[in-house]
Amino acid sequence: MGMLPRSPARARPRVYRWFLSLRYLKARRTNWIGVAGLFVAVAALILILSIMAGFLSESRQHLRGNLADVMVMPRMDAPIAATGELPRADPGPLLELVRSHPGVAAASVQLQWYGIMMREGGSEVMEHPLYGDLGLVSLVGIDVEDEYATTDLRESLLSTPPPASRVRMEYVDDIDDPFAQPQGFEWDGLPLPTILVGAQLAGSLGLHKGDVVQIITSSIDREEGAVGEPSNEKFVIAGFFRTGENEMDLERIYMQRQVLATFLDRDAAWSQAMLRLDDYEHDHERIVAELRHKLYQAGYVHDPEHPFYKGGEVTTWEAFRGNLLGAIENEKALMGVMLSLVMLVAGFTIFAIHSMLVAEKRRDIGILCALGGTPRGILATFLLIGCWEVLVGASLGTLVGVYAALRIDPLEQWLSRTFGVQIFNRDVYLFDHIPSVIEISGVALIVLGAISVTLLFSSIPAWRAARLDPIEALRSE
Amino acid sequence: MSKPILSCRGIRRAFPVGDQSIEVLHGVNLELREGERLSLMGTSGAGKTTLLNILGLLDPPTEGEVYIDGTSGWGLSAVERAQLRNRRIGFVFQFYHLLPELTALENVLLPAMIAHGGMEYLRLRSEFTDRAREMLVRFGLEERLRHRPGQLSGGEQQRVAIARALFLDPPILIADEPTGNLDRRTGEKVLELLFEQQAERGTALLLVTHDERLAARCERTLYMEDGLIQADSGTPIPQ
Ligand SMILES: Nc1ncnc2c1ncn2[C@@H]1O[C@H](COP(=O)(O)OP(=O)(O)OP(=O)(O)O)[C@@H](O)[C@H]1O
Ligand SMILES: [Mg+2]
Repeated sequence: MGMLPRSPARARPRVYRWFLSLRYLKARRTNWIGVAGLFVAVAALILILSIMAGFLSESRQHLRGNLADVMVMPRMDAPIAATGELPRADPGPLLELVRSHPGVAAASVQLQWYGIMMREGGSEVMEHPLYGDLGLVSLVGIDVEDEYATTDLRESLLSTPPPASRVRMEYVDDIDDPFAQPQGFEWDGLPLPTILVGAQLAGSLGLHKGDVVQIITSSIDREEGAVGEPSNEKFVIAGFFRTGENEMDLERIYMQRQVLATFLDRDAAWSQAMLRLDDYEHDHERIVAELRHKLYQAGYVHDPEHPFYKGGEVTTWEAFRGNLLGAIENEKALMGVMLSLVMLVAGFTIFAIHSMLVAEKRRDIGILCALGGTPRGILATFLLIGCWEVLVGASLGTLVGVYAALRIDPLEQWLSRTFGVQIFNRDVYLFDHIPSVIEISGVALIVLGAISVTLLFSSIPAWRAARLDPIEALRSE
Repeated sequence: MSKPILSCRGIRRAFPVGDQSIEVLHGVNLELREGERLSLMGTSGAGKTTLLNILGLLDPPTEGEVYIDGTSGWGLSAVERAQLRNRRIGFVFQFYHLLPELTALENVLLPAMIAHGGMEYLRLRSEFTDRAREMLVRFGLEERLRHRPGQLSGGEQQRVAIARALFLDPPILIADEPTGNLDRRTGEKVLELLFEQQAERGTALLLVTHDERLAARCERTLYMEDGLIQADSGTPIPQ
């Protein structure tokens, strides 16, 4: 006696908890099944959700196409406050109004209408992939310089198609003057008005730069409420554009706004305005609200306070594409839920293995009690095993998951080559690579989920171990 | 006469069996003095193990008190009781009860690991390890330090168990048929060691045995029958 220092009565974590938990972890091979389960769950969740996030962000790019941050589609039937005239003839006052708004970086106006396109010389309407033999196209009249400042038109004129796609790009001769006549083009010695055609449309109709097409349109006379006389004119294709947004690339045709206005022969010179914001991510909600108010006061839009007001007149491109973006978001959430089941299965595995361990170690638990172990100490011992498991499983899973998400492209190519199966078919998707974005908050959530699942499922057997009657436990052979 | 280090008064213990309750101990009184060697004999099923579990603060009595150093053991909190088991009582069981995943040396160190927190233990570790090794060497297990219980013979295992029970130098040693599972010659050697250590350390020993010759080597023997102590072998040695 007295050879050893007496420790004070207050309870503190005793060494045996650490020591025994590590020893049990090491001695029982089956524990590694739980670790493997956690590893797979964490790695798969991180990888798949990164790819989904990548698809989402890439799809956002594609869905946006040549839309602008914010779009204004005013009512054209009421006089504006400034001049007392209908707004459609002159976009000047509106441009002035929105450009003066703080937070708006640039603004442009477009004139949009619809028409039917025919190849020159042919009397048949060209076959259109979406509408059968209806060559319906969307005509968009723009001011090039303003448009470059607000939408991604310039980029879409310079874009390259995905390697596997059948779309060819025939670029405009001069990016700063995209509506210039194609070099060497002549039509009975006269210049023709030029158009830019969506790459998908051009591809599916077999159109080339320098081809001449006829467009037929007819506008509606608002005052008389009747369809006006059809107009018909020849245009020459000056080049292609590719936004990545399927519908735009399949049915949109750009021309100069003045050309379209003359072609339509109406008093309307514009139909909508496109705005680029200084800081879309942070400011768009506030600026849209302010613009609605301001434009209402100027007489361009309806009262935003009205109970039936839906907000379509001043809208962000995301709200405009709301359904589609929401669908992808949903898919990502669904994927997360499905994969969380893997985590749950890992939790069940750990529960089963720990329950077996506790049953097997009943005698040890009795011995520990006899030697001075407390129920709390025994609980901690078995809970610590879960801690080590999640420490190893989740860290390895995070490392491998993040690494795989970062290097998914070479990994997929390697797998495809090794096993001779194409995993990611680049023809099916619009992307030439597998997109992936690692979201730190997502990774943290996954790791946190792994920790809570493990602690939850290992706490039940640990609690049972702590409640064992030492006498019963010692009697078991 | 030395004072009692472990005693009990009016111990009753009933076990629920089905919807009835069967009383196994019917009011046992016992006294173990400092440094005393006391044996407890009795027919199988008399309640010896049940009594030892209660005295060792592992199993609560239905009625009665257990005093260790004069304080009522079952009046303390569970944590304090665990600490008493750790510091004041050493257990030796019939079936050795070593942890199978630990080496002989680690098994001996276990009471110290239960007694001390992490930093403290790390600081004292070399001292502890030296002491444990010394003990095992003295017990004739020099070659067996790193062996697992599964690799040891019964006699060797029981010697490791004795080293573990005595490692923190408790004043009380409770042994329930420590040689019951060993052949006679091995049993004798193990008991020799137990007695020798007990005498050297001045530990009080409460020994349950079925062997009259072992009981004869104790200063006092109690006979138990049907949950009561029926006879006392004689007067305690005068001091
Ligand atoms: N948990 C329990 N539930 C019901 N009965 C029990 C329980 N523990 C012990 N008993 C009963 O109590 C009686 C005494 O048992 P105990 O183990 O104390 O006897 P013992 O004197 O140690 O016998 P042995 O010499 O065989 O070891 C026995 O009849 C046994 O069946
Ligand atoms: Mg017994």
